[in-house]
Amino acid sequence: MKRQKMFLKMITASILRRRSRMLVALLAIAVGATILSGLVTIYYDVPRQMGEQFRNYGANMIFTPASGERLTDDTVSEALSQIDSANVVGCAPYRYEAVTILERPYMAAGVDMAEVEKTSPYWSINGEWPSQSGEILVGTSVASTFALSVGDDMTLTYDLGAPEGATVDEAKNGISENVNEKSFSVVGILDTGGNEEDYVYISLEDMEALTTEKGGYDVAELSVSANSDELSAYVDSINEDGAVSARLVKRVTQSENTVLSKLQALVFLVTAIVLVLTMICVATTMMAVVAERRKEVGLRKALGASNKSIIFEFMGEGLLLGGVGGLLGSVLGFLFAQMVSANVFNSSITFHFALVPLTILVSVLVTGLSCILPVRSAIDIDPALVLKGE
Amino acid sequence: MSLLEIKNVSKIYGPLKALDNVSLKVENGEWVAIMGPSGSGKSTMMNIIGCMDKASTGEVLLDGVDIAKESDKKLTAIRRDKIGLIFQQFHLVNYLTAVENVMVSQYYHSMPDEKEALEALERVGLKDRAKHLPSQLSGGEQQRVCIARALINHPEIVLADEPTGNLDEDNENIVLDIFKQLHREGTTLIVVTHDPEVAEEAQRTVVLEHGRLVKEIINENFTD
Repeated sequence: MKRQKMFLKMITASILRRRSRMLVALLAIAVGATILSGLVTIYYDVPRQMGEQFRNYGANMIFTPASGERLTDDTVSEALSQIDSANVVGCAPYRYEAVTILERPYMAAGVDMAEVEKTSPYWSINGEWPSQSGEILVGTSVASTFALSVGDDMTLTYDLGAPEGATVDEAKNGISENVNEKSFSVVGILDTGGNEEDYVYISLEDMEALTTEKGGYDVAELSVSANSDELSAYVDSINEDGAVSARLVKRVTQSENTVLSKLQALVFLVTAIVLVLTMICVATTMMAVVAERRKEVGLRKALGASNKSIIFEFMGEGLLLGGVGGLLGSVLGFLFAQMVSANVFNSSITFHFALVPLTILVSVLVTGLSCILPVRSAIDIDPALVLKGE
Repeated sequence: MSLLEIKNVSKIYGPLKALDNVSLKVENGEWVAIMGPSGSGKSTMMNIIGCMDKASTGEVLLDGVDIAKESDKKLTAIRRDKIGLIFQQFHLVNYLTAVENVMVSQYYHSMPDEKEALEALERVGLKDRAKHLPSQLSGGEQQRVCIARALINHPEIVLADEPTGNLDEDNENIVLDIFKQLHREGTTLIVVTHDPEVAEEAQRTVVLEHGRLVKEIINENFTD
């Protein structure tokens, strides 16, 4: 039998035939590895999870025209091409026009309803989103002014400007007979608690029909799933081209950054504490193991074991436990992270295979470090004293 | 040249002289018993001969080498290569089987060899118990495993500390028979014992009292 085989036999027999004590050590390592692996999974998954949560708070990037010209489909598409399409949650162009409702001035927004739904998931709609021509979404403030409710009809009037041949006085006084009117059916009342309640929202096609003017947007709101560095890089890249001016909605991106960095710092801190606690626990257990086996160590030394052999044997046991504990921990850690993710973020996480060797490596390292003191005390054991039962 | 020669050895622990100017020669193949009451210095002497302790003064020549002056590392090597130890408490590794316990000694000495370890167990009549853990063996059987372990590396000296101290009469006789066999084969035996009956089996008995060698008895009736 080779020496290595005998070495393996001794350390595995020590673990397998002394189950109760070694189970405590294994449990300590596995629990530590589980929390470590789970927290590292969460640490890396939190930005994604939180990013998704933050997307509920609305757009985090705005496109506006770089020059006096309005945005067009082409300029927006070109700017969008600078952003990884997988990260674009939604891009909602807005065309604002001044309209009158029962001769009172209001702002109407022509929007792509489907995209607005993506960029502003926090909008609370009483009723439904407009889905076809002739349907309108009315802000709460507007609805209360005109006592509008879902199902009511209303008319938007758009001033096409002074007609050809109008007198200067007529133009100056804004009195014009050149208006366009369009009737809409109220399908939803918008409640956001913000400025959005002072607007009415119609489809872009209805806006073109009302204004008799095609194309062009004043602004495009984007919801992009990326961290602040990536967002800044996108903005810089878009602004270099010049046709579109991109900027970040700092209120959203900064608070996202703050929350994320604090959360990650918390997870990092907890991970560090768990590692230290695991080390203490493993070191204590290994100390107990060494104390319990003083006679055995003494015997081995009496039989001619060198200090190196004693170190190898105890370290071998510790590292084997570390490896098995790490393997267990990486599987249990994933389940732990999955549970946390399901309960806190209401979503699932993906298994990071790279974490398995990493967790095993860290467990082995932590166990190795924890074994240093106990092993030092083992090599100090005097065979003569131990064999006499002192 | 004697295999072991102790010259004017003293071992001092603070105010206590555990061994006081002791001298002793043991020839190759000899069977010597060391007797004496508790506290007489028997164990100290065993530890010094077994390279587990160092004399405060004097010389301990093993094969002509003064082990009193050797480093701890060198003493470990001498213990591993030249000395076989048998203990009163057996001291088997409780999670290893009988044959594995014997192989542990081979592991530290050279190369573990299961066949050879089984042969050593066969010599002490325990081949059929080779795969048993110490907890599954009787006291006598455990002591025989301990003897097999002490012999496996063919040591120059076998040191036995109260080898029958924890055994009943039947097992005591089995162990003594094994010692007789070893002596016939030329093994040098040094047996520390309280038991006059065990000492009577040796060729020579030295008696220690208060750390001094006070008497040496040659067993005229010694037969192998």
